[in-house]
Amino acid sequence: MAYSLLLVFILPALGVPFVYLAGKKSSRAAAFLVALIALANMALLFTTIPTILSSPRHEYIEPYEWITILDSDFTLFVDGISVSLAIITTVLIVVAALFSVNYMEGKKNLPVYYSLLTLLSLGLVGVFITSNLLLFYFCWELMLVPAYFIIGNWGYRDAYRAAFKFFIFTHAGAVFVLLGIGAIYMVTGTTDMFVAQAALVQNIPEIVPWILVSLTAGFAVKMAVVPVHMWLPDAHSEAPSPMSALLSGVIISAGAYAILRLSLGMVFPAVMDASFGSFGMDFMHGLAVFGVLSAFFGSLIALVETDIKRIIAYSSIAHMGYVMFGLSLFPTSTVAGVITITAAITGTVLHLVNHAVSKGLLFLSAGAIMHQTEIRDIREMGGLAGKMPFTAVASFTAALSIAGTPPFACFISEFLIFVGAFEVIQNDGFFLLPTALMLIATVISLAYSLRYLSHVFLGKEKPEGEKKIVDVPTCMKVAMGVLVVFVIVLGFWPRFFIDLINTVQFL
Amino acid sequence: MVEILDVVLPIISLVVFAVLTIPVFRVIRKTQHRNALAVVWFLTAFAVSGAAVANLTLQYYSLASPPSALPFLNIPLADTPTPELASGFLIDGISVYMAIMFVTVSAVVVVYSVFYVDSSKRPSERYFAIMLLLTASLIGAVFSGDLLTLFIFWEAAAAGSSFLMIYKKDPESLNSTLKYLVMIIIASAFIVFGLSIVYGLTGSLNFWAVRDALMVLPDKTLLIIAFILIATGYAIEAAIVPFHFWMPDAYAAAPSSSAAFLSALIDQGSYYVLIRVLIYILTPPSGGNPGVLNWTFMLAVMAALTMIVGNLFAMIQDNVKRMIANICVADVGYNLVGITSVTALGVTGNLYFFLIGGITTALSFMAIGVFSRYGFRTLEDFSGLGRKMPYVSFALLIAGLSFAGLPFLGGFMAKYLVFTAAIEANMSWLAVVGVLTSVLQVAYILRLVNYMYAKEPKDETPIKEPKKMLIPIFILVAAIIILGTLPQIVFNLIDPVVNQLNQIMLIL
Repeated sequence: MAYSLLLVFILPALGVPFVYLAGKKSSRAAAFLVALIALANMALLFTTIPTILSSPRHEYIEPYEWITILDSDFTLFVDGISVSLAIITTVLIVVAALFSVNYMEGKKNLPVYYSLLTLLSLGLVGVFITSNLLLFYFCWELMLVPAYFIIGNWGYRDAYRAAFKFFIFTHAGAVFVLLGIGAIYMVTGTTDMFVAQAALVQNIPEIVPWILVSLTAGFAVKMAVVPVHMWLPDAHSEAPSPMSALLSGVIISAGAYAILRLSLGMVFPAVMDASFGSFGMDFMHGLAVFGVLSAFFGSLIALVETDIKRIIAYSSIAHMGYVMFGLSLFPTSTVAGVITITAAITGTVLHLVNHAVSKGLLFLSAGAIMHQTEIRDIREMGGLAGKMPFTAVASFTAALSIAGTPPFACFISEFLIFVGAFEVIQNDGFFLLPTALMLIATVISLAYSLRYLSHVFLGKEKPEGEKKIVDVPTCMKVAMGVLVVFVIVLGFWPRFFIDLINTVQFL
Repeated sequence: MVEILDVVLPIISLVVFAVLTIPVFRVIRKTQHRNALAVVWFLTAFAVSGAAVANLTLQYYSLASPPSALPFLNIPLADTPTPELASGFLIDGISVYMAIMFVTVSAVVVVYSVFYVDSSKRPSERYFAIMLLLTASLIGAVFSGDLLTLFIFWEAAAAGSSFLMIYKKDPESLNSTLKYLVMIIIASAFIVFGLSIVYGLTGSLNFWAVRDALMVLPDKTLLIIAFILIATGYAIEAAIVPFHFWMPDAYAAAPSSSAAFLSALIDQGSYYVLIRVLIYILTPPSGGNPGVLNWTFMLAVMAALTMIVGNLFAMIQDNVKRMIANICVADVGYNLVGITSVTALGVTGNLYFFLIGGITTALSFMAIGVFSRYGFRTLEDFSGLGRKMPYVSFALLIAGLSFAGLPFLGGFMAKYLVFTAAIEANMSWLAVVGVLTSVLQVAYILRLVNYMYAKEPKDETPIKEPKKMLIPIFILVAAIIILGTLPQIVFNLIDPVVNQLNQIMLIL
C-alpha cells in the first residue's frame, strides 16, 4: 500500500480525541478502540513485508516533505529489524488495552488513561518506523510524557515519585541523544540516518567517537543498563501492570534498537577507521562489560527481592544485559565493504522480540495475581496454582521462557546470541570471559524464575482465610492467552522473524 | 513602489484606534454586551493594522529587485541625493516578519486582557489604548532605518510598558515599576552616549552608512567604548544577566495580562534590537571577513550566565508567577545563544524562538492569570488543580512542557535550532550549558506538574473555569502544537530573512 506507514502514524494521532469521547461513554469501548487502532496498525505494517522481502535493499520507504530548511524529511522507513519490533509493539499494545479492561475497572479518569495509551502507542511504534533522526527524536520523547502520566496517575504507592525519576533519568539520557543528533547534523548536514552513515564513512570527522559515546550513553539510560538502571525498578514496579508490560516489553527494547540502528549501524562504521586506533574494539569490549554487569546485577537482585513486580523489573535489567552483550558482538570489520548480519545480531533482535512477549506476559500475570489477591509480597503467597490455574499456566510459560528453557521463545534467541559469541571468540579472545560469565548468569536466571514460581504457585496455600480468591475475568484471560500463544509459537517456529531480520544489511 | 505611507500606515492606524478607544469605551460601557463589543473593536483595530502590514509585505516581496544593491528597501523621510545616508524607515525580511508576529500575538493578548481586566472599571480603556500604542511603537521600531529612529520608537515601547506594570497601583507594583523605570532611564542614557560616539566616528546614524564607515575604521578603541555603552544599555533592557533583576519583580507584580503582553512583545522587541545592532551593524568577523567588532565571546559568556541564573532562580521559586518570570530570564539566555552564533541557522532559530517563546510565555502568564483570579499563587496552592480546573491546567502543562523543550511542542524546535547553531559556530560548550540547563528546567517544571496532578486538592469545591478566557488561551495552545509539529509554516516566512542575511555577510 502506498500510504501504509503514514497511516500508522496518523491513525493513533487522530484516534486520541475519539478514544477520549468513547471513554466518556464507556471505558470498555475506549479500550477496544485502542486495541482496534493497534490491530489496524499491525495490519498496515504487515502490508510492507512483501516489499521488504522483494526490494533489492530489503527496505520499505515513504518520504514526505517536512522541514525543508533543515533538510529534514518526514521519512518513514522499515526494514526487517524495525518491522519485527514494530509488529511486536502493536501486539503488546493490543494486549495491554485488553488487559486494562478488567484491570483498570473502577479507577478514575479512564478516558484520559486510554487517550494517553493511544498517544503512547504513537511514540512507541513511531520510534521503529522512521529513518529521520529528528522524527526519531520526536517519537523518542513522545514515549516519555504519556508514560509519565500513566505511571504517576494510575500507579501504586508513591507513583508520581517513580514517574518523576523515570522522566528525569530518561530525559537526561535523551539530551545526550539530542547532542549526538545535533553533532551529526553539523558534520554531515543531514538528518537522514542512511545519508549520514554514508557521509560519515566517506569523510570521517574527528569527533565521531564522541558522537558514538554520547548517543550510546543516552540510549543506554532508556535501556536501563547498569549503572544507569536506577529508574527502572521503581517505574516498572509502581506502574499499572499493562503499562509495566509496555515499559519492559517495548520502551527498553527501543533503547536497544536505537543502539543497534544508530550507534552501531550509523556511527560505528566510521569509527572502525584506522585513525582511531583500537577505539572501536575497546568500545565493543566496554559494551560487553556493561552487559555482563547488568546481567549479574539484575539476576542477583531478582534472586533476593520479595516484591512480585520488583523481581520482574530486575529481571528486565538482567535481560537488557544479554541484549547489551549481544550488541557488543556487532561485527567490527567489513566483508567486501559490507557488514552482514551475524548470528549474534539476529539473536539479539530476536531476543528483543521474545523478551517483549515473555516479559509482557510475566508482568500481566503478576498484575493478575496482584489484582485478585491484593498483595504483592511473594512470601505471603503460596499454592495459588489451584485457585488461579489460568494465571499459573501463563506465569509458568512466561517465567520459564525468561529463564531460557526450551521450547519457550527466549531459549532460541539466547542460544543464537551464544552461537554468535563463539564465532566472535575465534577472532577476539577478549570475549571468552564475558561469554562464560553470561552462561553462568543464565543459571541464575533459572534460579530466580523457579523461586518466583514456587513461592507464588506451589506449596502451602496462602493467603488463607476470609477472602475467596478466584481466577481472572475474561478480558484478562484473552490478553494473557494471546501472549502465551506467542511465547510458545515463537519458541517452536522463530523462522518468520529470523528470516525478516536476516534480510537486513548494515552499511 | 513602496511609499512612506505604506510603511507608517500600520503604525498610524493603531495609534488612531488607540486614541479613539477612550471615547468608544464611553459608549460601549453603557451597553449590555460590553465585552463582546470591546473584542470586536480591538479585533477591527488589529485587522486594519494587520491588513496594512500584509499590504506592505506583499508590496515588498513583489518588487522584482530591490532598488539598490542591498537586500533591503530604504524609505527616506526626505528626498536626498544619497538615500542610504538619510534617516528614515527600512523594510527587509526580518522587519516584515517581526511586524507580522507583533500584530498577531498582540491581538490574542489584547483579547485576553479584555476578559482579564474588568473593562467596566474606569481606567481600563487607557490600559487597552496603551497596549495598542505599544504595539504601534514596536512596529515602528522594527521598520526604523537608522539608530535614532530605532532609539525613539524602542524607548517609547520600553518606557511605555511601565504603564502596564503599574496598573494595579499596589505598593508592590509601584516598587517594581519604579525599579524598572530607573533601569530603563539609565539604559537609555548609556545608549544615547554610545550613539553620540558612533555619530562622531561615522558622521551618520543610518544603519548601513554606519556599518560601512565602521568597517574601514583604522582605530577601534573609541568604537569599543561605544559598543560597551550601547551593549550595556540594550542588555539592561533585554534583562541579560547581570542586569536582569528588574524582570522577575516587574513581571510578578504586574497583572497577568500585562506580564503576557510584556513577555510576548516587549521582550521579543528587545531581542530584535539586539539582532539588528549586533548582527546587522556591528557584524562580527566570520570566515574571511574582517567584520566590524568581535563581540561573540563576551556575549556567549553572558548567554551562559543568563541561562544558568534564570533557571536556578526559577527552580527555587515558590510563587508560580515568579517562576515563569524567571523562565523568561532564562529564555533571554537561550535567545542569546542563537544571536551569539551569528549563523543563518542561529538567526532562523532566533526568529522562530521569538514567536514560540513569546507565545509560550504569554500562554503561561494567561493561564496563571486565570488561576490567580481564584487566589492560587504558590506551588502549595496549585495542589490538585489539574483535577479541579482541567482546561487551564492543561494549557499551563503544555506551556511548561514547551518551555522544557519536549518534541511536538514549539519549544523543542526553537531550542534545537539555537543549540545546533551554537555547535555550528564552534561553541559546543555553550550548547552543552544550554542542554544541561534545559534538563534543570524539566526538573522544576515537573515539580509544578507534580503539584498540579499528583497532590490531592485542598478542598473539593468545584471551580467553574471562565469559558471566554479559555478561547484566547486555547488558540495559543493550538499554535504551540501546530507550529511545533509543522515548523515549516514559520520557516517559510523566515527563509527570505536568512537569504538576505547571507547576502549581507557576503557584501562585507
